[in-house]
Amino acid sequence: MLNLPRWQTIAIIIFTALAGFFALPNILPESVDDLLPKWYAQNRINLGLDLRGGAHFLLEADLRGVLNERMTNMADSVRSELRKKQVAFKEVVAEPNGHVTVELRDEAQRATAIETIRTVDPSLVTAGAGPTIDVSFSPQELTRKRKEVIDQSIEILRRRVDETGTIEPTIVREGDDRILLQVPGIKDTTDLKRKINQTAKLTFHLVNEDVAAASGGGLPAVLPPTTFLVPTREGMQALRASNPKAFDEIQSANPRLTPEQICRRYHPPCLPVFKRVVVGGEDLDDAKATFENQSNGGRPIISFTFNAAGGRSFCAATRQNIGKRLAIQLDNEIISAPVVQSAICGGSGIITGVFTPQQTQEQALLLRSGALPATLTIIQESTVGADLGADAIHAGTVAALVGTGLVMFFMFGTYGPLFGGFANLAMGVNLLLVLAGMSVLGASLTLPGIAGLVLTVGMSVDSNVLIYERVREERANGRSALGALTAGYERALTAVIDSNFTALIAGVLLFGFGSGPIRGFATSLSLGLLTHLFTATVFTRMLLATWMRWRRPTELTL
Amino acid sequence: MLWKPHHIVPAHTKFDFMGKRVWALGLSTLINILSLVGVFTLGLNFGIDFEGGIAIQVRAKEGAIQLEELRTTTAALGLGEVSLQSFGDKSSALIRVQRQEGNAECVAHADTVMKRRVGNGWSVKPGPEGKGDVVFTSPSQLDSIGWRDAVSRVGLTVLERELPRGNTNTAKIDMTPEQRAEWCQQVAIKVVDDAISNKYDIRGTESVGPKIGAELMHSGIIAVLATLGAIAIYMWFRFEWQFGVGALISMLHDVISTIGIFVLFRLDFSLTALAAVLTIAGYSINDTVVVFDRVRENMRRYKKLGLVDLLNLSINETLSRTVMTSITVFVAVAALVIFGGPVLYSFSIAMLWGVIVGTYSSIWIACAGLVYLKLRPEQLRRDEEGAAKAKA
Repeated sequence: MLNLPRWQTIAIIIFTALAGFFALPNILPESVDDLLPKWYAQNRINLGLDLRGGAHFLLEADLRGVLNERMTNMADSVRSELRKKQVAFKEVVAEPNGHVTVELRDEAQRATAIETIRTVDPSLVTAGAGPTIDVSFSPQELTRKRKEVIDQSIEILRRRVDETGTIEPTIVREGDDRILLQVPGIKDTTDLKRKINQTAKLTFHLVNEDVAAASGGGLPAVLPPTTFLVPTREGMQALRASNPKAFDEIQSANPRLTPEQICRRYHPPCLPVFKRVVVGGEDLDDAKATFENQSNGGRPIISFTFNAAGGRSFCAATRQNIGKRLAIQLDNEIISAPVVQSAICGGSGIITGVFTPQQTQEQALLLRSGALPATLTIIQESTVGADLGADAIHAGTVAALVGTGLVMFFMFGTYGPLFGGFANLAMGVNLLLVLAGMSVLGASLTLPGIAGLVLTVGMSVDSNVLIYERVREERANGRSALGALTAGYERALTAVIDSNFTALIAGVLLFGFGSGPIRGFATSLSLGLLTHLFTATVFTRMLLATWMRWRRPTELTL
Repeated sequence: MLWKPHHIVPAHTKFDFMGKRVWALGLSTLINILSLVGVFTLGLNFGIDFEGGIAIQVRAKEGAIQLEELRTTTAALGLGEVSLQSFGDKSSALIRVQRQEGNAECVAHADTVMKRRVGNGWSVKPGPEGKGDVVFTSPSQLDSIGWRDAVSRVGLTVLERELPRGNTNTAKIDMTPEQRAEWCQQVAIKVVDDAISNKYDIRGTESVGPKIGAELMHSGIIAVLATLGAIAIYMWFRFEWQFGVGALISMLHDVISTIGIFVLFRLDFSLTALAAVLTIAGYSINDTVVVFDRVRENMRRYKKLGLVDLLNLSINETLSRTVMTSITVFVAVAALVIFGGPVLYSFSIAMLWGVIVGTYSSIWIACAGLVYLKLRPEQLRRDEEGAAKAKA
């Protein structure tokens, strides 16, 4: 029997109402946003770039170049370490394939040599025989580095593209070595391209402790010409939270304010540092978050490595300034100013402090962003002007409305006001579910996505067609109205489910292989088919069952 | 009367579909062969998604677009093949520029753009190594930040540390030939922009580098094959293997003839077209499922009926729903064709064709396939009875 327990009917109604609730913000005008809770008002479907206007880039990171550079530096370090341990070698060469070849003079020193190489970087693996040692990174280490390079590039892009925090770009990893960058609302990409490969400006400066002591934490009235004021990163973040207006002013100031002007005008916590740059970020090879030895307390720390030139200047500066603070300045903010504990020679050192593991991760990332890892090449680009997007929205909306209207007209015409009405109601609920689903999933609606919705409309009445035609047939075979309706529904159902599934296979595969706006099509189509399974098997059934119980029809106007 | 139910297809049709199967198969084979011949001789009009290249949507600042004039202007730019089509309304057009190779001409273009946009003292020359490297010369000394800003004016994105550190007049930028080819797409956009910007507004640009185009083509073919395979396997599990093969043949028929439509009307075969092909494969099977479902049911009910009669009966019984489900999708897609705008045009036309051909192939191709695959109702019945007995 075409019957439903009451609790199921209630569950279906609640579910549908819930969907309506989540889909509602898409229909409401933006002017009522203020009256609604923020989480709810924001629950709108994002428009894709082809509708909203904006720029889309697919960038490819030159990972080979990164690896080769790392290995060249590695060869330098290996050379100097081997000399220190008095291991004689003919040559140490960085090969273009990401390996370093060490040719020893005396085969007997092989074990010592390998041990020495390991001290340079424990993640190196060695191979080869006799006097030749082949040094490379293990595959796991390579994967880790690759991921690190992409993550780092993403972080830098975010800092570059979204300086003010208001642009809301989408920056995600695509595949192994690519980054998808979407920036809504811009049409001229010249400025964006300039920013893409812009490195963060990272410098190390000594803190002028005399001035700091004299002013006792406040702003010093006069500064020696060798010194300037730089706000701390925490200070700027606090300012952003406490006085967003001031923060916006700083961001939008043209010409840009110097760090000192920011300190003087807006009074965030600042530090007086010497203008002389101890080391620049371009000499920083790597920085990573790690932990101290257990014997020292096992605290989270940041370890960093300079190249040869950076190592030498850093060694000299730290030797002369033990006990003083060394400020690490990134993009005109001091991200940290640790106290120099001892002379740091040999090209690598650690920063300790009261850090949580997450903070060390962040700081290491910031430090690394001084040395941008890889050249990013634009391999795909599209820009859509806002007016073009508006045209697309208009065309899509008209097509969707007309399409829906035509389908409804045909359903009414063929199956009459009652059964046609059921079908159209189910179709409406289906659309509502798709919209709610897209809102909740945070999916983007693209122009092909609208086409997917239109197709969904056309396909989602099909289940009703199958059911009704079957009912007509059963009726012609002499069944009673009730019997025909029940049999018609049940016998049509397998075909409904099968046909949905096959279309869903196409939709899901399209999502997997497609990219950009096509994904939008695959999303709305697949979602539409999925929700259609619900409306066909559950919602339509509820409509028919409720109607039958209510009217107990003996005749069907079908 | 609209407000009374209507029967789109008369209730009891008795059309001898299978009797015409030879004609239908002949026609379909012809269409498919023609489509394939068309693909190999005329070729598909690949969009930039697959071929790489640049598409620029422009709109005349005043009045209707002068296609001829615009064609002459853009063809003279030395960017290789440039094609033009009107796009949407009278004042809009789409300019397509072929994929750029990273050759010396491109460097010469970059030189022109640099002189025009930044200043006369600038020059861009191919580098001494003769690979992908390029040498920029500036009229004044620049540091790495200055260099980075300068080269970005011609769309070149490069790391600061690969640029000269001190103050210099020249900067040699190392690129692989592949990287230079990708950059040359950027240069070409600027060349077109400079040439037409006095009369036209650029509304949107799209550029696909050589690398990604080849990849998309590759994954597109895999996507189509995977979809066809997966659906056929699903049908095989749900029905008999003959049904799976029948479905596969009818899907192939639909896909190939849809591609034929792209050849015939010279429609852009882009990623959206691929989406249409996949959707058609998934959709055309809907009607096939309906017919097959009925064939299976009738096999149980009419034990004595021969296969051809059985198929005819099943097709006639399900005809009304096959037609009606297609009509609803057809009208929805027709709305897309008429109102969906130029971007969706190829997609919608293909879908419209797909709906028609999908319905046709469900009836003739998929079912005729069953006849030639020698689906033997008696065998299936016996199997089922055997299984039922074993259960009992």
